[in-house]
Amino acid sequence: MTKLTRGAIALPGTSLANRTGSWRVMRPLHQHRAAPCHTACPAGEDAQDWIARFDVGDWQGAWQALVSANPLPAISGRVCPHPCESACNRGRYDQPIAIHSLERYLGDMALQQGWDYPVAPLDAALPAVAVVGAGPAGLSAAYHLRRQGFKVSLIEALPQAGGTLRSALPYYRLPTEVLEGEIAHLLALGLDWRPHTRLGRDVSLEELEQDFAAVFLGPGNQKGRRWDVSFAVPDTLRVGLELLHEWMRMGTVATPRSVAIVGGGNTAVDLGRILKRLGAAEVHLITHERIPGPGVADFDAMPAAEREVRQAIEEGVVVHEHRSVRRLLLKGNKVIGVEMVHAKKLVGADGRPRLTTFEGTESVLHVEEVIPAIGQQVDAEGFEPLLQGRPFIPVDAYSGAVPGSAKLFAGGDARGDHGTVSAAVGDGRRAALAIARRLRGQGELNPETRATIGFEQLNLNYYEHQPRQEAAVLPPAERVCHQEVESGLAPAQAALEARRCLSCGNCLACDNCWTLCPDSSVLKTRERASDGSHYVFDYDYCKGCGLCAQECPTGYIVMQPEY
Amino acid sequence: MSAEHTISLADLRAKQPRFQGLTAGHRACLGCGQALAARLVTEAAGPDVAVANATGCLEVFTTPYPESSWRLPWLHSVFGNAGAVAAGMEAAYKKQGKSTKVIAMAGDGGTFDIGFQALSGMLERGHNVLYVCYDNEAYMNTGVQRSGSTPHAATTTTSPAGAARMGKRHMKKDIVTIIAAHRIPYAATASVAYVSDLRRKVRHALEVDGPSFLHIHAPCPLGWGHEGAATIEVARLAVQTGLFPLIELERGELTAVMPIRQPRPVRDYLALQNRFRHLFSQDPRAQVELEHLQALADHNIEVYGLLGENADAQDSEGADTVQRGGVRWA
Ligand SMILES: Cc1cc2nc3c(=O)[nH]c(=O)nc-3n(C[C@H](O)[C@H](O)[C@H](O)COP(=O)(O)OP(=O)(O)OC[C@H]3O[C@@H](n4cnc5c(N)ncnc54)[C@H](O)[C@@H]3O)c2cc1C
Ligand code: SF4
Ligand code: SF4
Ligand code: SF4
Repeated sequence: MTKLTRGAIALPGTSLANRTGSWRVMRPLHQHRAAPCHTACPAGEDAQDWIARFDVGDWQGAWQALVSANPLPAISGRVCPHPCESACNRGRYDQPIAIHSLERYLGDMALQQGWDYPVAPLDAALPAVAVVGAGPAGLSAAYHLRRQGFKVSLIEALPQAGGTLRSALPYYRLPTEVLEGEIAHLLALGLDWRPHTRLGRDVSLEELEQDFAAVFLGPGNQKGRRWDVSFAVPDTLRVGLELLHEWMRMGTVATPRSVAIVGGGNTAVDLGRILKRLGAAEVHLITHERIPGPGVADFDAMPAAEREVRQAIEEGVVVHEHRSVRRLLLKGNKVIGVEMVHAKKLVGADGRPRLTTFEGTESVLHVEEVIPAIGQQVDAEGFEPLLQGRPFIPVDAYSGAVPGSAKLFAGGDARGDHGTVSAAVGDGRRAALAIARRLRGQGELNPETRATIGFEQLNLNYYEHQPRQEAAVLPPAERVCHQEVESGLAPAQAALEARRCLSCGNCLACDNCWTLCPDSSVLKTRERASDGSHYVFDYDYCKGCGLCAQECPTGYIVMQPEY
Repeated sequence: MSAEHTISLADLRAKQPRFQGLTAGHRACLGCGQALAARLVTEAAGPDVAVANATGCLEVFTTPYPESSWRLPWLHSVFGNAGAVAAGMEAAYKKQGKSTKVIAMAGDGGTFDIGFQALSGMLERGHNVLYVCYDNEAYMNTGVQRSGSTPHAATTTTSPAGAARMGKRHMKKDIVTIIAAHRIPYAATASVAYVSDLRRKVRHALEVDGPSFLHIHAPCPLGWGHEGAATIEVARLAVQTGLFPLIELERGELTAVMPIRQPRPVRDYLALQNRFRHLFSQDPRAQVELEHLQALADHNIEVYGLLGENADAQDSEGADTVQRGGVRWA
């Protein structure tokens, strides 16, 4: 040690000999917690992650991060009811991030630029897996298996892939070029594509189980449920989903002047909008539930997405909420009206909602036709035993494994407990991960345990209010035929929107901790630190005051007791 | 490969992409507002600066013999003469033809009370010195005795709340107005909670020719009785309530203020600190003093015109909005 004259001088920076870290009783740690948008996304996307890449202009990186979970962003960005946005922390600050718009933006950009999905080369050592059904669930399962190097045979009854997206999603919400583009891109990944092959007719489950190490089933719900009513119906009764299919194939269907559609799901709402477009003067929707929206309980909300219902209403569809059909008014074989009654699902003592109708509230609606659109179930012809007498395939809720089978997995609409594209994509993804683990002898797939970061854990002092960027929507009068109703964000809008993300639970490299530590104990690094951030704590000096954790806007720093 | 594996922490510290005038290993309390403020000031000022430091917390915790946390020329004056010593340093550099900037640093005791005449003389003689006062509102180093800067109604060991009175009886001395009366080129207030604003003011003060004065509100977790983690939050609330207005004066005239977007009630600020705990008791005088402090805040807002008309990117809520990549605080 340099000898100093007492009380006179000291050499610069020599206090570094004094390791004040020994004072510490709490230790700051970086902890990447899950953003609520991630936790809420049925497909498993981490929007925080890909929006961060978007924000720095790395669009391809953003798209790659996005498709590491969901290979269909151009599609889901258009049709997903985006529960991520309902969960978005920013919604409690001003308005949620328009995640779906950014997702669509990246999906469209990838199609335009022809970006390739990142996949591992085929691994000859891995066994082959079969996927049945080329709807979103099957496509996702096939893609995620292929991504990890598995050989995949994709088996589909119809000539083309897409499932319900192709057979029932109207062009005005999902233009054909987008559907075709994303699907063609996926099929080009080197899948063994087998169209015109129906499980139960052209190939049996036993054969598949023999030839493949694992089988994922994503047959969707292709069988219309019977309209199980006690009153008389005309024998000319047309059913919602079939009419939709016909319109998708032919571009038109016979259109009555006035019609009542029974049901509150996607089929009912889309059919209503189509009949409006085809010139029906009066389109009524009769539904047990309410129009979805904030504060409406899930069991009491129409299954169709809020945005779709809103747009249908703008287009002139009349929704009769909390109504049930009592009987049809018939003149011979011809419908002249429908008798409705007030009805509501009431939660019983067992906690289950049950429909109750209220006597004395009957009313009559004069219409020329009544069309039930009340849902579908699995068409299991040729593999009925799998359903165990139920309308759906019972599976493990997380992995999609069929209980009691070593090889079978299922997901998508066929599970019966959810019915969206993103849920189907998520089922396919988790099943693919579970299959890969099983086949590699790595045991079962466990649910993600990362904690979700709440709104209260953010420090909002460092954010500024910014209005959400909304995509242009065609005015109702201009919504004719196939015209896409919503358009995408312009590049400048998308950049602004990505910038609004609060980066919940993950470092955004704002420099707060580096700048505000009174003990210069947060060091900045050019390279990434092992936790992925650009900051390291110098525990030799950190006293554990917790100021960095308090002032971190994103909640990325937590304090932990030192022992 | 991650940074920890390729480079030692000591090397990483040596290579930080900004000037570090004050380094780690000092003995300040957890979450010390003054340690943070001094770091921010030297960072914004450096590297070609020299410091004259009055006796006080900062001097004590940065230089226990034989160590120093300073990485720039630094001189310890006595308690009462930082202004005079800095003036001498400035004259010496001038004589040597050097452009090194001189900063005097002192606490509120060393500025408002004990060092005031040396400060006033330095200003009056027009020395080209930036005088920084770190205001933690009492004599903290010697055990939390009241100073001329202690706010009305705060408890200290020499102004205890009790049967006789509700904390300090007198008002906080209006030091900035007194400084302004010297008609120096630049005087300003700043807060550790508004870092961009603080940096800008340090740089501006060093640019002006002649004496400048910067009064920085720097919470003291020990003396104020709040968590070390709450230092910034407390400082921010002092600004957002109007109790500590952020203002700039040139030649004694008010030239700029940081507008308050949405004034917060003084209770929000006071409730975080034990030195005001008695104001939340059942004592009937508590209510009166709470209203008194609210009136003082309202008075500041009125006198300095702190109420923003519209949301502003530089107001009390817009300032220091984060951006990915930290570009704001390069
Ligand atoms: C009118 C309508 C509108 C909708 N709108 C939306 C919306 O806006 N947003 C949203 O998220 N969701 C919407 N949905 C729901 C969404 O389409 C489904 O949740 C999703 O397509 C389910 O995907 P899946 O892969 O499970 O099944 P499907 O998409 O139904 O695909 C199943 C595939 O399996 C094939 N298949 C079936 N059985 C066999 C067999 N035995 N052998 C071989 N192949 C077989 C089928 O031909 C089909 O290609 C809508 C549905 C409808 C009907
Ligand atoms: S603000 Fe960003 S990270 Fe947070 S929930 Fe919303 S989209 Fe996700
Ligand atoms: S602010 Fe600094 S001293 Fe305080 S806990 Fe964080 S790293 Fe440690
Ligand atoms: S304060 Fe900013 S830079 Fe530090 S960890 Fe949090 S988000 Fe990252």
